Amino acid sequence: MTEARRSHFWHSDGRRLSGLSTLLLLLPFFAIIAFVFVYPILQLLVISILEPHPTLENYARVVENPVHMRVLMRTLWTATLVTALSVVLGFPVAYYMSRAKGTVAALVAVCVILPLWSSVLVRTAAWSFLFQRNGLINSALMALGLTSQPFKLLYTQSAVVIAMTHVLLPFMILPIYGALRSIPDDYGRAAAVLGATRLRTFLEVILPLSLPGVVSGSLLVFLTALGFFITPALLGSPQEMMISTLVSKQIREVLDWPFAAALVGVLTVFVTLLAIIFSKTLRFDRLMGNAS
Amino acid sequence: MNIASATQSASGASIRISRLEKRFGAVSAVDGVDIDIAAGEFIALLGPSGSGKTTILMSVAGFEFPTSGSIHVDSEDVTYVPSNRRNLGMVFQNYTLFPHMSILDNVAFPLKMRGLRAAERHARAEAALATVRLAGYGHRRPNELSGGQQQRVALARAIVYQPRVLLMDEPLSALDKNLREDMQLEIKRLHAELGITVIFVTHDQSEALTMADRIAVLKDGKIQQIGPARQLYERPTNLFTAGFIGEMNFVGVTVESVGDNVSVTLPWGETWRLPATAAVEPVAAGEAAVLAVRPERLQLGAGSGGQVITVTLSDIVYAGAALLLIGRLPDGTEMRARIPGASQLCALAPGDVASFTVPVEAMLLYRGSRR
Amino acid sequence: MKPPADRGSLALGAYVYAVLAFIIVPLVIVIPMSFSQNDYLAFPPSGFTLKWYSEYFDSRQWRAATWLSVQVALLTALCASVIGTAATYAMIRGRSRLVTAFQILLIGPIIVPHIALAVGLYLFFQTIGLSGTIPGFVLAHTVLTLPFVVFTMAAALAKVDANLEAAAMSCGATRFQAFRLVTLPLVLPSLASSALFAFIISFDEPVVSFFLSGVRQKTLPRRMFEDIEQNLTPVIPAIATLLIVLSILILLGAHVLRSRSVTR
Ligand SMILES: Nc1ncnc2c1ncn2[C@@H]1O[C@H](COP(=O)(O)OP(=O)(O)OP(=O)(O)O)[C@@H](O)[C@H]1O
Ligand SMILES: [Mg+2]
Repeated sequence: MTEARRSHFWHSDGRRLSGLSTLLLLLPFFAIIAFVFVYPILQLLVISILEPHPTLENYARVVENPVHMRVLMRTLWTATLVTALSVVLGFPVAYYMSRAKGTVAALVAVCVILPLWSSVLVRTAAWSFLFQRNGLINSALMALGLTSQPFKLLYTQSAVVIAMTHVLLPFMILPIYGALRSIPDDYGRAAAVLGATRLRTFLEVILPLSLPGVVSGSLLVFLTALGFFITPALLGSPQEMMISTLVSKQIREVLDWPFAAALVGVLTVFVTLLAIIFSKTLRFDRLMGNAS
Repeated sequence: MNIASATQSASGASIRISRLEKRFGAVSAVDGVDIDIAAGEFIALLGPSGSGKTTILMSVAGFEFPTSGSIHVDSEDVTYVPSNRRNLGMVFQNYTLFPHMSILDNVAFPLKMRGLRAAERHARAEAALATVRLAGYGHRRPNELSGGQQQRVALARAIVYQPRVLLMDEPLSALDKNLREDMQLEIKRLHAELGITVIFVTHDQSEALTMADRIAVLKDGKIQQIGPARQLYERPTNLFTAGFIGEMNFVGVTVESVGDNVSVTLPWGETWRLPATAAVEPVAAGEAAVLAVRPERLQLGAGSGGQVITVTLSDIVYAGAALLLIGRLPDGTEMRARIPGASQLCALAPGDVASFTVPVEAMLLYRGSRR
Repeated sequence: MKPPADRGSLALGAYVYAVLAFIIVPLVIVIPMSFSQNDYLAFPPSGFTLKWYSEYFDSRQWRAATWLSVQVALLTALCASVIGTAATYAMIRGRSRLVTAFQILLIGPIIVPHIALAVGLYLFFQTIGLSGTIPGFVLAHTVLTLPFVVFTMAAALAKVDANLEAAAMSCGATRFQAFRLVTLPLVLPSLASSALFAFIISFDEPVVSFFLSGVRQKTLPRRMFEDIEQNLTPVIPAIATLLIVLSILILLGAHVLRSRSVTR
């Protein structure tokens, strides 16, 4: 350590804190993250490979059992579907929001942000009312004469996909909105005056420039959807489990800890790898920056 | 585009803006503007901030639809034609090169929109880059170029499809002074080579005066005066233009009589007889008026062929080619004089009283009063 | 000549409002249902009654769950905003290689699925006796809310010129006085709004609460989960309505704080 570096550790220089103060201020953060986040997750991973004895058996059970494999595939498929639906529904809203002004802009923003900050349970419960045999959707379909018998909507995979899309849509809209907002209006004008129709302007200029937002939103939705628990647990069918509901069942009913830990390990490692690969495009702060 | 205009594509189009009006809620951004622009003309829109320059340009480009009035390009009514079908070139203030495309793709973009094949559009884009002296830069990205180079690329992109009108909204204001002068020359050269009609928005009057064939001075959405630089400078038609373009001395006077001559009483009681041509606007006896004269028209010392004023000097500023003398008339009105070839005048000091001759033909008389 | 009708924009507008209806209708639909006299949750709701609200307020179980959640959320808001602000301040003004580690660890609680953390904590807290206790909930929720506090505070602190503190110190203030008298007042609105967000995240948090709740110590989300899973009574729309009102109040509070803020 040089003399200067050593003194920076003990003393602050007006603009910068000393190394010691930095350490002390960061300490509570590191302590709680280590104790309440890193340790419990590592413990699960350790259990998954050390119990009942050092083995990869628990992971083998995940991939070799066709039932479990189907749960994994269903989870991936559901997350993909939810992500795709969110892009299709969310992009136009983000685009509209980025162009809107005044009261309209405020109204759209409230419609997007209020759900984000209201309870997931409230939103899931609302869907279970809507999907009931005598809920709004079936009543409306029967009143319109589209069906004489109520459909079974609740406890189906479609219910899970629709409700999850509803819950996760703001996570798609906000990053795309952020990306679109950072495109100056003049780019669209320049394209138009150079001869591009509105469709071409969108395809050649607006879409490529907003792509980081789309990627970021899609990852956020996809990663969250993979581990989503509440909605599949309340609206899904017990015959069509997702990985999170399977984990819950292993712990609460079967009490098979090593296997549950392996499932959590698969999920956590997969999600973390994706996050590392795309770490450059993920912009979490966008969610808070525009929160109100 | 019809065949007739396509064959003329080397030359510019004429533009007629008639009774153009644009309101944003209660704000009247443009208020009854008429401008007739000849084919191949270079016209500048000049005015203070918020005077409606951008709004006029946006209406010509098709980004704003006017509240009323019309815009014709070569006698075709384009008032409500979408911008992508107007076939105009436009250069924006902040370059607006598409950041995700190479320079060549940026310049080739309008050709792509017009359905040209890749080989041909690249060849033509290369040629356009060569006209702005950026041959060989095609593979770069916009952020790898300096501001001046980016603006030249934007220029190449705006002319590559040979539009007959080029619109520019303060295209040089993001550049520093030296670059700005280079670009002024570049744009003048392109205008001369291509014969394209140019509408150029600026709030830099020297830029407007040096570049444009005619200048439209705007204030509060209304045209104050349109004319060539010389006319605007030497005989501004109203007080606003007189004060807005260049430096001007103003003295409040009272009109005594109007006839073959106009006689006016100055604040310190003296009465001057001016030729009738001095009255830019009609004035009436008994009313207040403003006498205006450019500082460089004052001559040091009492001479003939004009009126003599005495000025108590307060500042003497050496300004290179000329000496700037600042002082007060007997009533306290500030008066400035720019005297060229200044070296022999060093004897003057603040506090001295100096006499100046105001040549009769340098005096301009306007109705009303300053503030 | 008239300006042409803009069909593209009309179509976009129609699509967008349809999606917005999809977003907002399921949320507001619970409000009329909470006043319905039907004992089963049929649609359309009929009549007007406040009995579901009084059932909620009169139930000892619902009250206990709500009170537990309030305590946990208040403590979480306090812990997260203090720990988060200290760490963010160190990150922005500090000098240490720990800052990089901090930025990586911060993303962890957002990326790692809540179910994974919930299961891990369930196991860990049971062995050390924190399961179903207020400290246990508070610790878990603090981890979950820290990233949000840090993002808010980072945005606010980045806007406070570091030279302001240097100026205060050149006037004789200590580093701590400089922070307390100059920086803190400037970022206080952001600090308050990050505490509000931490409160509502904790108050509504369902997954970790689901696993950490004991037989007696149940948070409000956990009680709601059981109610929805088992019998879905009309008390749920009443509670949902109250929670929506709470969210609206929190967002309004944050909005007011933001518009007051000097460092917007
Ligand atoms: N989209 C809009 N909504 C409301 N008012 C507007 C809008 N665009 C322009 N205005 C108003 O119209 C007036 C003219 O604006 P414009 O942009 O044309 O001025 P300008 O001459 O280009 O000024 P500057 O030199 O600052 O660019 C201003 O008062 C401006 O506030
Ligand atoms: Mg402008």
